[in-house]
Amino acid sequence: MRLQFILAVLFFFPVLLVQTTIIPLISIGNITPNIIIILLVFYTIKNGQIFGTLLGFVFGFLFDLITGSILGSSMIAKTIAGFSAGYFSSETKRAIYLKPANFSLIVFLSSLFYSIIYSLFSTLDFTTTVLNLLFEHALLPALFTAVISLFLIFFYPKRKLF
Amino acid sequence: MLRLFTNLWEKFKEYIILILLILISLILLTQNQSAGVKKVRTIAFGTFASVTSVFNDIFNTSSIRRENENLRRTNAELMLQISKLREYGIIGEDLKEMLALKDTSNLPLIPASIVSKSLSVAQGTVTVNTGSVDGVKPGMPVINHSGLVGIILSTSENYSIARTLQNVNLKVTVKCERTGEHAVMRWNGESLVLINIPKTYQIQKGDRIVTSEISSIIPVSVPVGIAADIGKVETGIFNEITVIPFVDFFRAEHVFILGIVKSKQIEDLELNFFNK
Repeated sequence: MRLQFILAVLFFFPVLLVQTTIIPLISIGNITPNIIIILLVFYTIKNGQIFGTLLGFVFGFLFDLITGSILGSSMIAKTIAGFSAGYFSSETKRAIYLKPANFSLIVFLSSLFYSIIYSLFSTLDFTTTVLNLLFEHALLPALFTAVISLFLIFFYPKRKLF
Repeated sequence: MLRLFTNLWEKFKEYIILILLILISLILLTQNQSAGVKKVRTIAFGTFASVTSVFNDIFNTSSIRRENENLRRTNAELMLQISKLREYGIIGEDLKEMLALKDTSNLPLIPASIVSKSLSVAQGTVTVNTGSVDGVKPGMPVINHSGLVGIILSTSENYSIARTLQNVNLKVTVKCERTGEHAVMRWNGESLVLINIPKTYQIQKGDRIVTSEISSIIPVSVPVGIAADIGKVETGIFNEITVIPFVDFFRAEHVFILGIVKSKQIEDLELNFFNK
């Protein structure tokens, strides 16, 4: 388990590299998918809720430090995203949850939680309406992330890699 | 007692861990301006940016052709503008001499490339491949051929992080080029807006918005955007105006940092405001 955690943290860096260099090229308007959430959900489903919560915390910490976001904003959001994805980490149903459609739906939910909380903690702008917050800041990025996750999990090799 | 704690831990360990981690995050949220956090952040992004810059170069190569075409077109347009501006320049020089204004046409430009972007809806930041060694300091404006990109937030030896205009924590003093009316511009998480605009202001849709000379962070006029939507506030005396930025933050790759050296006192005053 400890090795899995270290592996996941090490794997975060190339994913962040892609997130900050390639992902902006495929963004639509201000809507950007978050592939770090996909990685977080994947590891959470495979290793359990506590693993996911801790991993979300570490991912958030590193993300805030490296990208210059407000330190703590992404930490809270990713911790809760990992925690919420943890509800889908039952050992007996793991294979079912990793099926493309299910996985995509879990990514969508976690990403939705992440986006809402991240927006709340980083924007702190009360002129933004709740509807706008839900739709433009959370729903659309979550939907985009879910679509990307569908492709990624579809092409994920059946043999165990990570 | 110990047994009670063990039972509680066994039953609710997921929630206990979650609450603990959220508490730590909240504590860190209040420590953003501490020197320790800033130092750790500088080391972290400096190290990561050195890797990103190599990776980014590979992707940049493919876009060079497209960029060259754009630059050629921009050059032609600029050439036409220059001839017109030369005439104005002669008149301007005479007027400056008469009014004893400072010359702002020879500002030092530090060329840089964006090596990574974090384009979240609220906290847009970019990492550029120039740092304190090249003379970059926090608070310096980042521009490109279209206009203002952002402001340097933090620097390491060879890299710097800049807040883009799409960052809720960045406020810039701007003015309407046509009317000369000043305002504060900020990103509200959705669009760039000029806030607290008195209803008596004459800014109209289509007016060019540039940075204001009264700001010592950006003491020269840098194009920012076009006034797009004038808010219709029924009550109160203030209005909001939406601005469409000239810079495409998603496509921006090469930028310049305006190496403006200000007096320490003004710098400190402005940065106190900027860091809020």
